[in-house]
Amino acid sequence: MDIQLSADDLAFQEEVKAFLAENAYPAGEDYNKWRLDWFDKAGEKGGWDIPKWPIEFGGPGWSPTQHYIWEKETAVAATPWDMPFGLSMLAPILMGYGNEQQQQRFLPDIRARKVNWCQGYSEPGAGSDLASLKTKAELSEDGTYYTVNGTKIWTTMAHIADWIFCLTRTDDSGIKQQGITFLLFPMKQDGIEVKPIITLGGTHSVNMVHINDIKVPVENRIGEEDKGWTYAKGLLQHERTGLAGISRSLVALENLKAQASTVTRGNGTLMDDPAFRGKLAELEVDLLAVEFTELRSLASASTGSEPGPESSILKLKGTEIQQRIQKLTVEAGGIYSAAWGAKPVGHSFARGGMGGYLSSRSYTIYGGASEVQKDVIAKNVLGIKRSSK
Amino acid sequence: MNFDLTEEQQLIQDSVARFVSDNYDLKSRLTLAGSKQGFSDDHWNTMAKLGWLGMPFAEADGGFGGDQIDTMLMMEQFGRGLVLEPFFASVVLGGGALKRSTNADLKTEYLPGVLDGSRKLTLAYAEEQARFDLHDVTTSAREDGENYIVNGQKSMVASAAAADQMVVSVRTGGGQIDEAGITLLLIDTDSEGVSMDNFPTVDGLQASEVTFKDVRVPQSRALTAPGDSFELLRAVANDGILALSAEAVGAMEILYKDTVDYTQEREQFDHPLSAFQVLQHCMVEMFMEYEQCKSMLYRATLETAQQGLGAQRIVHALKHLIGKQGIFIGENAVQLHGGMGVTEELRIGHYFKRLLVIDAQFGNSDYHLQQFAA
Ligand SMILES: Cc1cc2nc3c(=O)[nH]c(=O)nc-3n(C[C@H](O)[C@H](O)[C@H](O)COP(=O)(O)OP(=O)(O)OC[C@H]3O[C@@H](n4cnc5c(N)ncnc54)[C@H](O)[C@@H]3O)c2cc1C
Repeated sequence: MDIQLSADDLAFQEEVKAFLAENAYPAGEDYNKWRLDWFDKAGEKGGWDIPKWPIEFGGPGWSPTQHYIWEKETAVAATPWDMPFGLSMLAPILMGYGNEQQQQRFLPDIRARKVNWCQGYSEPGAGSDLASLKTKAELSEDGTYYTVNGTKIWTTMAHIADWIFCLTRTDDSGIKQQGITFLLFPMKQDGIEVKPIITLGGTHSVNMVHINDIKVPVENRIGEEDKGWTYAKGLLQHERTGLAGISRSLVALENLKAQASTVTRGNGTLMDDPAFRGKLAELEVDLLAVEFTELRSLASASTGSEPGPESSILKLKGTEIQQRIQKLTVEAGGIYSAAWGAKPVGHSFARGGMGGYLSSRSYTIYGGASEVQKDVIAKNVLGIKRSSK
Repeated sequence: MNFDLTEEQQLIQDSVARFVSDNYDLKSRLTLAGSKQGFSDDHWNTMAKLGWLGMPFAEADGGFGGDQIDTMLMMEQFGRGLVLEPFFASVVLGGGALKRSTNADLKTEYLPGVLDGSRKLTLAYAEEQARFDLHDVTTSAREDGENYIVNGQKSMVASAAAADQMVVSVRTGGGQIDEAGITLLLIDTDSEGVSMDNFPTVDGLQASEVTFKDVRVPQSRALTAPGDSFELLRAVANDGILALSAEAVGAMEILYKDTVDYTQEREQFDHPLSAFQVLQHCMVEMFMEYEQCKSMLYRATLETAQQGLGAQRIVHALKHLIGKQGIFIGENAVQLHGGMGVTEELRIGHYFKRLLVIDAQFGNSDYHLQQFAA
């Protein structure tokens, strides 16, 4: 065990810093153009646009320490907006279970951020109990296409996505995890209707998606018919590992301290308030520990291949910490956190603070609700059996 | 000791409950909240007609001789519907300040309108640098012949756009954080030099930033002798805390009960969610904290209304508990509803947001715990 960064790691860190500084967004420039250029340039560095992809698919093949450095540095720098659905969720599935033709067809556009994907798993009747999904896919008599009918819900970014990766039911005769088929199809076609769902913060990111008699060619099926659950389960692990956001939380905590020190109170600031300071300190302690939990998990993943059970711990701890930071931000905003007009009132951070807090409530719901995650850990990690012998 | 309601109190509670269930389903509330004024004149007139606006005023002032207990009963029902009419701002805060005024002429002139609903008031007390301290006041009033000249800014003034007058805490003497030297003035909202920036708040209500620039206010508009208003302001703030806490208790009841109902309807893994023990225990915690808040509400209200010793300390305890547990109950109601919990379509999110705002009004949970411990 060694906590020091090696000379190579330090050199890598400098290189990352230099890259991020050189390619920072120049105020006033066309954001979208800058964004796509940024990914191109990161690609030229040797897969920096796809840090988590394996070498054989163009990834940089970094060590856990290098990943750690990258996360830390990109958390403080203003990197371009990105979406996880294609890059971090679908891509590993394509690599693991897609055929070569599918990989060649879809991966380059994902890498280039040209095609936006959304994840069509949850349904009104299938949330935590995802395997009970009912969206029906029927194979045509000639075996060339599926006809898909059903309703998906909570589909993030469905209103801007070009494609969806979707779990469908092809057989309901056996246990529910069997008979699920993994299909890919375009969103912009007749028969797909996307209805916005407005969430607590007044924002639109999730949707209801009605799928009505659309035809999906069999070439768009990942792996075998009825085996989609196995593929999706691997993917859920990837989704969860990505949700902990530790490095970003460390930055957020520093921001919060800076914000709190602008809030006056008596003769001092909120940073002199023992109750507030105590909560900040507890948060920081938890973050310091979870940062190492993440490093331990990265290190073990680099020897094996799949993220292990500690990924469940990371999602739980990471999201809980994010929520606590958001909650403290609302507390720091005091009464100004209530202001909900177009512009902030009083403390400049308060308007965004309330919005952030409200959306943070869903962090412990999506990607596996916390209660269900704990069940998974009890069963798979602690080895607790449900029934007595 | 006796926790039974009198026949009259029971009647009020029932009639407010009926009003809320007739008028405040989620859709009607959202429509009203989205309108320019943000509440209904018809509802306001109903409240006036039924005598609710005059409830917590002495008979000598034309009221019904009620007290904080009556206000509590009404506010708890308002909380169950998240009522939007400015009862709190006008009756509890503005009216509550005026009724305690030692300025008899001012009361005679302005109170009747508050009681019959033709006049709306509010209270402007918060300032940005003060955080939650009522006595931290920089808005200044300089004497100029018969008048005061007022300069400064008040923050997050509840329902100010609808108000005809506001009771404003200003400094006529002393240093920035002295209790002495604070004077409450009744200022017309349309006075020259008063400007308002109105905006919605996250709970569907409205508030304003109010700026005073060389506003001329007759000295006869002072609620007390110059510099002597702090105790009055504190008493009004305590009434405000009691009323908000009652509203919060009403909202908490909806939140925990809706969650109990929802988890029994929604099935996952071939069981109603309510079959999962971890959720059962969570709902029991929500219920227990609701009951604790209600007990503390009764305790603080009775002690304040009946002048028990140490009422101030119990009010701090109440506001601490309400803020903390209101958010606990709200967060868990959302969590147990899963995705449905974070939508605007279900009412629980709206109750949760109101509880978040209540925590910050008149000092948050941490602030009152510190006052309690001091
Ligand atoms: C903002 C947001 C974005 C989302 N984006 C997507 C997306 O892009 N694509 C997609 O497919 N889905 C998405 N989801 C859906 C998300 O995955 C589901 O909300 C989640 O799986 C929970 O399902 P549910 O909402 O039906 O809640 P339910 O499953 O009904 O759960 C309700 C409550 O019951 C608890 N519970 C359920 N089962 C058990 C049990 N066995 N034991 C104990 N407690 C239990 C849960 O923990 C939760 O607290 C998103 C959700 C949100 C809120």
